[in-house]
Amino acid sequence: MILDLHTHSIKSDDGRAKVENYCKWIRKKELDLDGFVLTEHRQFDAESDYTALGDQYDLVILKASEVETDYGHVLLFGVNEALVREFDFARVDNPLPMVLEAAERHGAFAAPCHPGRKNVGLFAHYETKGSVPEVHTVEILNGGSIPGEDERSVEQARRHGYRGFGGSDSHIVSRIGYRATRFAADLGTIDELVQALRSGEFEAVSLVGDEYQMISEEEEGVPT
Amino acid sequence: MTDEALDLDTIRAQWLGVEFDVSTFEMQAGPMVAWAEACGETDPRFLDRSHPDFQAHPNFTTVCTSGRFLPDGFPSIGNGFGIDGGKTVEVLAPVRPGDVLTGTATIAEVFDKTGRSGTMVFIVQRMSFTNQDGDPVSIVDWKTIRGV
Repeated sequence: MILDLHTHSIKSDDGRAKVENYCKWIRKKELDLDGFVLTEHRQFDAESDYTALGDQYDLVILKASEVETDYGHVLLFGVNEALVREFDFARVDNPLPMVLEAAERHGAFAAPCHPGRKNVGLFAHYETKGSVPEVHTVEILNGGSIPGEDERSVEQARRHGYRGFGGSDSHIVSRIGYRATRFAADLGTIDELVQALRSGEFEAVSLVGDEYQMISEEEEGVPT
Repeated sequence: MTDEALDLDTIRAQWLGVEFDVSTFEMQAGPMVAWAEACGETDPRFLDRSHPDFQAHPNFTTVCTSGRFLPDGFPSIGNGFGIDGGKTVEVLAPVRPGDVLTGTATIAEVFDKTGRSGTMVFIVQRMSFTNQDGDPVSIVDWKTIRGV
């Protein structure tokens, strides 16, 4: 199945998309997408329940977070109350090793997103501060990237031996699914998603036209 | 990373919710229609003065500003006035010609975030409008972005 692992709704300060409108868009445009993960900025939206919406549109809708660290932005999958209490999601300077360690300890999965981006991408910080040993997976395809950023992500992920996934980073409805992740297993819950990410059985894919079609170990030599 | 001298927790504690301006605005049909036309509106409720439910376009209150954006003594953040980060309007009741609105300005939020261009601080000014009967009619949140 294919999930877009990086989306924002109006719950994010800069999000303009209502969750139901994402669902309508996916169905109207017949996107090859089985669901998406809401990764709201600097928070975890514990209150919203999209179960009924997911059932109505036959889509998997999961919730995660995008937090900010001293090495750029990081997606957190499997956020729970204990993890929320560990550090301030609203801060823009959380230490990346602390975030990775806390996520691991509380059963979540943390991975830097748009790592090829200036200022807020992991690899820009590697140049000045060195690498972080705890990193194992990054978002190599991001729908908000400008030319050169994803290329840098792919190249650097290969160099460091990181697994790579994809997400659209959509803030408006029409961008959902630009980049996504194909999983070997069918997933319906956040726990299953975390398990699948840990297993490494996934690949970054591009669903809406550009030069990328699929980035996989076989085709591009990117660790999966 | 945010400048160490910029303590947003302290700024929030001191300034959020503090009222720093109160202004009145008389609602007139002409500007209301002109605004609706400029927005590309086609609903006659916002364009036709003879419509039985004629009223201001929902985001018309965004034009009602006093010119004061920050309270006196508000800390300097970044350089210059910053850039417009957009407005959000919450519509609570119709605004009609002849209404006299009172807008009360407060600082609703101050937060930072990071992006390609570095760290940005968002200052959210909130204008809460009531009509001549004291009924709340609209809330406008106006974000300004400053680089730090």
